[in-house]
Amino acid sequence: MLKTIIKEAWISIASYKLRTFLTMLGILIGVAAVVMMVSAGQAVQLHITKSFSSMGSNRIFISPAELVTGGVRGARGLPSVTIEDVKALKNLKGVKTASYEGRSAVQVVYGSRNYGTSVYGTNPDILVVNNSEIEDGVMFTEKDVKSARPYAVIGQTMVNELFGLQNPIGKTIRLKGQPFKVIGTIKEQGDGLFGNDMDNFIYIPYTTLRQRLAGSERPKYVDMAYVVAESEDQIEAVSKRIEYLLRSRHRLKEGVKNDFQIRPMTDFINKVRNVGFILSTLLAVIASISLIVGSIGIMNMMLVSVTERTREIGTRKALGAPNNWIMMQFLAESILISFIGSFIGMIFGVIISQLAGSVLGFEVPISVWSVIVSVSVAVVVGVISGLMPALKAMRLNPIEALRYQ
Amino acid sequence: MSDSPVIEVKHLYKTYFMEGGNSQLVLKDINFTIKEGEFVAIMGPSGSGKSTLMNILGCLDLPTQGHYVLDNQDIETKDDKELALIRGKKIGFVFQNFNLMMKRTIADNVSLPLIYQRVEEKERYKRALQMLKKVGLLGYQKRPPSQISGGMQQRVAIARALVNNPAIIFADEPTGNLDSKTSNEIMDLFTELNKQGITIVLVTHEDDVANYATRMIKISDGYKVYDGLRKDYSKEKETRC
Repeated sequence: MLKTIIKEAWISIASYKLRTFLTMLGILIGVAAVVMMVSAGQAVQLHITKSFSSMGSNRIFISPAELVTGGVRGARGLPSVTIEDVKALKNLKGVKTASYEGRSAVQVVYGSRNYGTSVYGTNPDILVVNNSEIEDGVMFTEKDVKSARPYAVIGQTMVNELFGLQNPIGKTIRLKGQPFKVIGTIKEQGDGLFGNDMDNFIYIPYTTLRQRLAGSERPKYVDMAYVVAESEDQIEAVSKRIEYLLRSRHRLKEGVKNDFQIRPMTDFINKVRNVGFILSTLLAVIASISLIVGSIGIMNMMLVSVTERTREIGTRKALGAPNNWIMMQFLAESILISFIGSFIGMIFGVIISQLAGSVLGFEVPISVWSVIVSVSVAVVVGVISGLMPALKAMRLNPIEALRYQ
Repeated sequence: MSDSPVIEVKHLYKTYFMEGGNSQLVLKDINFTIKEGEFVAIMGPSGSGKSTLMNILGCLDLPTQGHYVLDNQDIETKDDKELALIRGKKIGFVFQNFNLMMKRTIADNVSLPLIYQRVEEKERYKRALQMLKKVGLLGYQKRPPSQISGGMQQRVAIARALVNNPAIIFADEPTGNLDSKTSNEIMDLFTELNKQGITIVLVTHEDDVANYATRMIKISDGYKVYDGLRKDYSKEKETRC
């Protein structure tokens, strides 16, 4: 029976090709829009997650506590973590390595060229923390840090902007008028999460930074410390150990707030994932407005169709069609229209989002969600928009329907 | 012709209830039986109630009062679903304006009633061809009805009425939309089918058409005023019976 009904419905909608196609178009565009929007949201999520992961998802950031008592939220407090703290952190259980940095924004000069960049005073462990590798030359050593040598290890943007085709190794650059010898370069890291240039930096020994570029009254205090956990699932345990260690080293009594804050990378990732999810949902909700419009189109078309085919309905009833059969046939027609419309819409949505992804250089995931959403939307929209016309057809009095001109 | 009644109508009344509480008595105390193999013309001027009687006989409507037995089934106790089933199994309809589906093939039109009997597609097609052969239209099965003449379209409708092997065929002004030559052809076809044993009830207001029937029932003002052989009918013999 079901097969016959579907076949009858198919023949019916196929005999009004243009009308069926135009009606279908509403649902098609709606589903395509939903699929594209969901894909866009997921692509952003994926992109962000990947960017974070490439930076190392098992990193933990330790910075001075935020000044939350008045003032600008997010403003940092005084440096509270020392190089000695970091050395102690490095020996904690579950910790792969730890590093630290002090920062200064400078104009770097080489010959007649100059370029704005960030200088990080740090130690050799920063390479592990940032997942960076030496491209050419060498990284400065712990010994170089101790003796505050004027060595610089530079990112690829520095190489390109300052040296062009020249080999930078052994050349001398100037930071705030101070000469630094380039001893190594770091492999390209690509664009960051927000399109920022991840290769525009210079590493110098921390001590050198403090002595020559950014003097401090408390030179032993770092702007930011990094801990790398041995694995992502140890992050929580390691974070707790860090807190315990730092509190005891800073001699914080019970009840006193931390003078530092610990933020695992996974926190960022989860936050961003949430934002991505909300974004996807929001986009999908907006896109589904077009689905509503599409389903109104189907309902409208089906109502016209029922009126137009009143005599046919009367004839079918006279020839023995039970009421529920008539209802099922019209319901099947609207479900078929929305099903085919959503199926094509889904294919279009996937193709367009893949094309857009490849043009814009984003990886766009094809999600099962697209399929589930479009199929369930098809059925729901078909039933909702077909129900009223189908009931109308079912309730037609055969005598009056046969008389209908 | 056997003696078993296909239709038995006893004390049949039909009242239409209008909006506002008014009611109109359309059929009053109608009694008759139609036996298997009869060819009956139901006649009457417009507004006489003959269409209402036809609708009740065709199981499209229920009487307000009285008994109607079709092929040993009490009709007045049936609900919509059972009525649809009875229409599909026991009745063949032929309409004045053919009521064919113009976008479908002739074979699809003929086999339509079989869908509701849940007959398989192949069997439906086979039966449609048999019926088309009966009405002289074999070879047209794949065309749409719009490509054939009105007379042929009515033949298709007759084939459709025959396809479920019904106990009775109701033809409501079957020649109303046809010219006289084609009308005669259609009526000849009915006569031929009747000779093969098919019971036919014809509703018409045309004397020429009614002449093909053997028996005539005349309705006037909701009453049966004549029931007898068509050839014996004369205006003077009318009486509320």
